[in-house]
Amino acid sequence: MSECIVITSGKGGVGKTTTSANLGVALALQGATVAVVDADIGLRNLDVILGLENRIVYDLVHVIEGECRLKQALIRDKRADGLYLLPAAQTRDKNAVTPQQMRELTDKLKEEFDYVLVDCPAGIEQGFKNAVAGADRAVIVTTPEVSAIRDADRIIGMVEAAELPEPQLIINRYRNKMVSRGDMMNKEDILEILAIPLLGIIPDHEDIIISANRGVPAVFDEASVVGEAFRRCARRVAGEPDVPELDFSEGNGLWGTMKRWMGFGAAAQGVA
Amino acid sequence: MNTLINKLFNRDNRTSKDDAKQRLKVLLIHDQVDLTPAQLDAMQDEITAVIQKYVEIDRDNSIVRLERGDDRIALISSVPVRRVIERALPA
Ligand SMILES: Nc1ncnc2c1ncn2[C@@H]1O[C@H](COP(=O)(O)OP(=O)(O)O)[C@@H](O)[C@H]1O
Ligand SMILES: [Mg+2]
Repeated sequence: MSECIVITSGKGGVGKTTTSANLGVALALQGATVAVVDADIGLRNLDVILGLENRIVYDLVHVIEGECRLKQALIRDKRADGLYLLPAAQTRDKNAVTPQQMRELTDKLKEEFDYVLVDCPAGIEQGFKNAVAGADRAVIVTTPEVSAIRDADRIIGMVEAAELPEPQLIINRYRNKMVSRGDMMNKEDILEILAIPLLGIIPDHEDIIISANRGVPAVFDEASVVGEAFRRCARRVAGEPDVPELDFSEGNGLWGTMKRWMGFGAAAQGVA
Repeated sequence: MNTLINKLFNRDNRTSKDDAKQRLKVLLIHDQVDLTPAQLDAMQDEITAVIQKYVEIDRDNSIVRLERGDDRIALISSVPVRRVIERALPA
């Protein structure tokens, strides 16, 4: 049974594109077939995060306007079997597409893929409506900040209004040190306020910036903590029960210990 | 810098995340009913004016606020009314 999942947030810059790329790669590495769709028309980004920007010929709007077939626009990621990207158009605007057209497109993709992940643009206007149109469920990304959580609450309401099931939450850019000195809301604080189930916590980590520089999402790196955090989210998305929460506090926990053992000490140091 | 901010706001016993959480709780309730705290204040002034036509009230100790219940948001108001005996006494 295939599923279309929209990755959304309300606020910009909280990590939707980073999450879409990493979840997509992780699900594919776990053996699923995945299409990641960049629905941020006019502000194409997912292609560069995935390092596939040089291979774009056709985009989502070309497909919708019938200038090419869906298969021609899909870019195969040679590093992860079963992973394909449908890029956004860069020189068009969000009104080039209607929710009805998006739904038809994602329905078609669902015939071919186990997962269709839609990277939603920021905001609550047309772009959001397009991105959720064909979704079976939503993942909400937030950071532990007042403004991001406020917008997440707004989006949760809109997801409910779109008659999707209860969304799951990813808390991104979590900083253990700040949490432990009381300068950042912790997991419990945020879940109490937003009252939706948690999909996972992603640490604030320099690996994300390095991997964006290179166009190689962090989940490709076996030794990356932040990659591991995304891999666990992907396992939960795939329905694996009781995936334990990653303890990414610096040098602590099984992951830190394993890292030191295996001589990956430096990788864990990036956790702020 | 942290301590300076704390001193300025005299919140030595509160961490910044407590402030964040408190502010968010108020913010989300107001967002959900689309009424800002300032609009709520204005409403309180109007309500007070109406009540004052009938009874004398203790404006400083009146409260009007939004509260989240189990599955709904309620407007909670407490308006202390002065007893006539207080009014009769010379100031
Ligand atoms: N966990 C993280 N640690 C460090 N930086 C991050 C993390 N998640 C996102 N970022 C950075 O934040 C910025 C915005 O991320 P992006 O995924 O593009 O957000 P969105 O798609 O929601 O606008 C990027 O520069 C990205 O590198
Ligand atoms: Mg984005």
